[in-house]
Amino acid sequence: MAGSVDLHKISRFANLAIPSMAVLFFLGGHYLSFYFHFLTVTFLLLTLVNLFYLFIQKKHTLLRNFGILGQARYIIESIGPEMRQYLFANDTEERPFNRIERSEIYRKSKGIDAASAFGSQLNFDNAEVKIRHSMYPVDKADIKPYSLTFGEERGLENSYTITKPYMVSAMSYGALGEKAVRALSRGARMAGIAMNTGEGGTPKYHMAEGGELIFQMGTAKFGVRNDDGSLNDDKLRKLCAEPTIKMVEIKLSQGAKPGKGGLLPKEKITKEISELRGVPMGKDVVSPAHHIECVCKKTTVAFIKRVQDIAMIPVGIKLCIGKTSDFLEMVLEMKAQNIFPDFIAVDGAEGGTGAAPKAFMDGYGMPLLPALYSVNKILVREGVRDKTKIIAAGKLINSSRQFIALALGADAIYSARGFMLSLGCIQAMLCGNNTCPVGITTHDPSLQKGLIVEEKAKRIANYVHGLEHDFYEMLAASGIRDTKDIKIDQLYIPEDTALAGQIKALLNNPNL
Amino acid sequence: MNRSSLIISWILQLSIAAIFIPTAYFKLTGNPESVALFSKLGMEPTGRYVIGFLEAAACGLLLNPNSAVHGAILTLGIMMGAVIAHSSKIGFSDGVFGYIAIALVIVSSAIIFIRRKQIKSIARMLS
Ligand SMILES: Cc1cc2nc3c(=O)[nH]c(=O)nc-3n(C[C@H](O)[C@H](O)[C@H](O)COP(=O)(O)O)c2cc1C
Repeated sequence: MAGSVDLHKISRFANLAIPSMAVLFFLGGHYLSFYFHFLTVTFLLLTLVNLFYLFIQKKHTLLRNFGILGQARYIIESIGPEMRQYLFANDTEERPFNRIERSEIYRKSKGIDAASAFGSQLNFDNAEVKIRHSMYPVDKADIKPYSLTFGEERGLENSYTITKPYMVSAMSYGALGEKAVRALSRGARMAGIAMNTGEGGTPKYHMAEGGELIFQMGTAKFGVRNDDGSLNDDKLRKLCAEPTIKMVEIKLSQGAKPGKGGLLPKEKITKEISELRGVPMGKDVVSPAHHIECVCKKTTVAFIKRVQDIAMIPVGIKLCIGKTSDFLEMVLEMKAQNIFPDFIAVDGAEGGTGAAPKAFMDGYGMPLLPALYSVNKILVREGVRDKTKIIAAGKLINSSRQFIALALGADAIYSARGFMLSLGCIQAMLCGNNTCPVGITTHDPSLQKGLIVEEKAKRIANYVHGLEHDFYEMLAASGIRDTKDIKIDQLYIPEDTALAGQIKALLNNPNL
Repeated sequence: MNRSSLIISWILQLSIAAIFIPTAYFKLTGNPESVALFSKLGMEPTGRYVIGFLEAAACGLLLNPNSAVHGAILTLGIMMGAVIAHSSKIGFSDGVFGYIAIALVIVSSAIIFIRRKQIKSIARMLS
């Protein structure tokens, strides 16, 4: 508050000026024209508010000391994020996604040429993983088209094949509003990719659009639960018989809040939510930190088997890595029971969420690149890499980061926020407030009004198309004819990256 | 806001609306009494239309639960003006309107008090 302007003096002046103006305008109203009394009244009201701030309220020191001028600070503070975003932030300094990253997606989504000129704005002296090209690029026509079949390891009759390496990562109806769900589902269908339903229970709006879905079973098992939160076999069997449900994902943990459950407050449980999620109205519902069936490695692996037997379609798990030794032990248990999930989705700690405590969002879990490397490495070392597929998630929103993930062992790519940006997300960071200004993470009809489903669905399709275009160009530049040959030696990994550290750690300690 | 204060607030909102609907109507249609009153204030006809319009707007805001508090603030403003008019130019002797104005200042203040949490800017600051 210091500096060359003495706010204390100014505010003392203002606190006197406001009532004086009221008196002045009163005289004007009395002797000149009654219209002055519009201003008299305004300044009288301001005087009252000011008296309240200065003498009655006790919570805010600033208002008690400075009165109505102190409020300016609160107003400026409340519009601060927008001001910084629009006026002052550098193109490369915003988080989680800076303007360069966002605008690449916006351009892809609108089908505008995404070429840039003059040079990269990134810092090339710093520690960032880059991709190596080949001296001898191949012809795009010679590249074998991407294809991946989930469930082939178990010889499943209802295996599921994807022909593009992208899928929409879990976002529930609840975190997203109805229109966002519809636009995403429709867009995913137009693009020919699968979409994860998130843990929002029966995916009514997803199914209505007729795309291919991965049903996520959260720790509360919304949609397929008994009242105590355990699995209801019949409900799951029935849901998996739906033709649009192609796979099931058992969520063990999530990058933005690993090890943390959640609470669905009773105020949010509308009649519809109660039906879709299978929970009673008028009572808070707890999402536990783990599935009640899964209390150790043995029971967790057995639970995967149980779900596989009921679902009859590919069943995978989603988790964020904490200790690599925990993961190693689970893999050993899988080997012992000879049960493997059909895919393992690795969610990096940098993942997004509708709402999570700050401590968990910022402080917990392993970032994607080292975690992904470790998961792949452990599976290879245990000789079971061919028993399952790996999906990677965590800020994989542009082609180069996706390529890096594929090189580190991922078979396919999940993105949540990439697709949100494609829907028109402006990174207002209000997903938990029901006030998303672009109608994506809100249920407020007046905010969803601006989101035109058909229009945004096209954006999703364009985005996927743009990513796929880049993908084959990059394969060609790297001299790779088969997507299965994207390997880690394709990457340039500087010494002081988290990834390099993890590679060294695993090398030095075979028990990790 | 508990149930009983919500009910009280609605009764007060409705009673303001019940007064404003006819007064706004008379002002906007040029009822001779209104014309006489605004002539005394030297605001004929613009001021009459402006105040009539503001009364109608306050009425609309008061009848919507999301904007009731803003309607009450507007009412308070208009009625403070009316009290000034009666005490400085018109006097309280002919008719009840001067006393009604005083009553509405109190009633609208009560609504603002009951619904103070709905004043968004303040609510956000005090949270
Ligand atoms: C609004 C929102 C809602 C989400 N809901 C879920 C969810 O229900 N279940 C889940 O496992 N992950 C959820 N996630 C996490 C994403 O699925 C994903 O794992 C993570 O955001 C990383 O991908 P990204 O960096 O491309 O966004 C959500 C993320 C966001 C942004």
